[in-house]
Amino acid sequence: MDIETTGILAAPLKVPKDRGMNIAAKSFFAFRRFAKALRLFFIIAGPGIIVMVADNDAGGITTYTVTGAQYGLHLLWFLILLGPVAYYVQEMTVRLGAVTKRGHAEAIFASFGRFWGWFSLLDLVLTDWLTMITEFIGMTAAMSIFHIPPVITVMCCWLIMGSMIMSGRYWTWEKITLLFCVLNLIYIPAAFLMHPSVKDILYGSFVPHLPPGGLTAGLFFMLMANIGTTIAPWMLFFQQSSVVDKGLKEKDIRFGKVDTLIGAVLTVVVAVVLIIVCGQLLYGQPVNDAAQAATMIMPRSRFIGVCFAVGLFDAGLLGAVCISLASSWAFGEIFGWAHSLNQKVKEAPWFYAYYFFDLLLAGTVVLIPKAPLVLITLFVQVIATTLLPAALVFLILLLNDQKTMGKYVNTRWENIANITIVVAVVVTSTLYAVSAIFPNMFQ
Amino acid sequence: MKAIVRNLVGQIRQINRKYAQPEIKMTPFVKLCLLSLRLYLLLLVGLMIVKFILAARS
Repeated sequence: MDIETTGILAAPLKVPKDRGMNIAAKSFFAFRRFAKALRLFFIIAGPGIIVMVADNDAGGITTYTVTGAQYGLHLLWFLILLGPVAYYVQEMTVRLGAVTKRGHAEAIFASFGRFWGWFSLLDLVLTDWLTMITEFIGMTAAMSIFHIPPVITVMCCWLIMGSMIMSGRYWTWEKITLLFCVLNLIYIPAAFLMHPSVKDILYGSFVPHLPPGGLTAGLFFMLMANIGTTIAPWMLFFQQSSVVDKGLKEKDIRFGKVDTLIGAVLTVVVAVVLIIVCGQLLYGQPVNDAAQAATMIMPRSRFIGVCFAVGLFDAGLLGAVCISLASSWAFGEIFGWAHSLNQKVKEAPWFYAYYFFDLLLAGTVVLIPKAPLVLITLFVQVIATTLLPAALVFLILLLNDQKTMGKYVNTRWENIANITIVVAVVVTSTLYAVSAIFPNMFQ
Repeated sequence: MKAIVRNLVGQIRQINRKYAQPEIKMTPFVKLCLLSLRLYLLLLVGLMIVKFILAARS
């Protein structure tokens, strides 16, 4: 559905400028204005919330779990700092998408030429496919806690992910995906059940400090892993293409920013809650991944263990759907295929074919006996790092191009914030990749 | 199969022609950024090759 057809934008509400208007009338008009804005926001909201919640994918849940188990509540402040970082980076894709009406892949091809275009597209495809394998690993591990064999889990995932996009309407897909986003908040009741110390949470959240033991190689690796989970290349491609597919225009940017902000808050809340739960239940215990954490929690609290496993499955599902769509959109933009969720399978066969091909390929790899899944997980980190700096630098350059962005070009303060973030992310993600390739380098 | 490959090659050629000229204004800052990116990627690829050689030797 086009936003214009809703009729909300058709007739702006006129507030009489009568100085004698009483307070009740003023309040009524203010309320109507607010209700109208809220209704408009609910129509426009979606891409930002989805991309941010999907950011807490299976890999992200594992990272937060391990962080909580190893360092307790000592790194909460760092996670909270990452919220604005994610917001500032993703907000740029909203502006870029709404102004250029191009997806991120197409924007790179058009602005930087074929070399950088092919590099970004092929790197994105490889990174996305490898990341999707890790999502399937997370989902199968989560369901194995309920004694469901991986084959059944993978087939159910294919079915759910296929049926989510078959409606031929972007809005239907978005609403279903937002329901899965709500399920991602399942960790919140689990945290309340723990009755954590409010004083410890406040101290951990708002007083920056290092955990006992100081800055070690392990802590450094963990901080970098958390940054790597917060900003991923597929997120830039996904949100920009999603904004374009939804049909957001320049006048919708304000609401698009609020949508992204709410998403950033949700992603931080989930991360913080996970760290609180793991910091309370598993502090000091060796934990390698989220599925193992769920199994360890089960004997102590079945409810929290179940929440953990369901949350992990949901995170993997959300991640896989968004990542696969990011690649399909990118291919569609460049190869000139019809590439909208508003088109039915018959109208955009190659777009949907690629989406399913990606899902089938990633799911099948997980089912191969003795597949090098640990090596794949490691490889994801390294390959993603080759794309992330390029994607971020392109984003900054595009947002500073007056010809492309017009009046929506980055302001000086936005540039200071964004360039600082990009430099910090590039340096830390590079160190992360180097430490993934040479694990003993920072010992 | 041959027809599919030929079609794909044709499409890639068309994409290369379409995006042959970058639209962005090539200011010294943009040129410096793109050069730095190339060097950065070469460094990362070099590291991966070193790792691969070390792994193959051991």
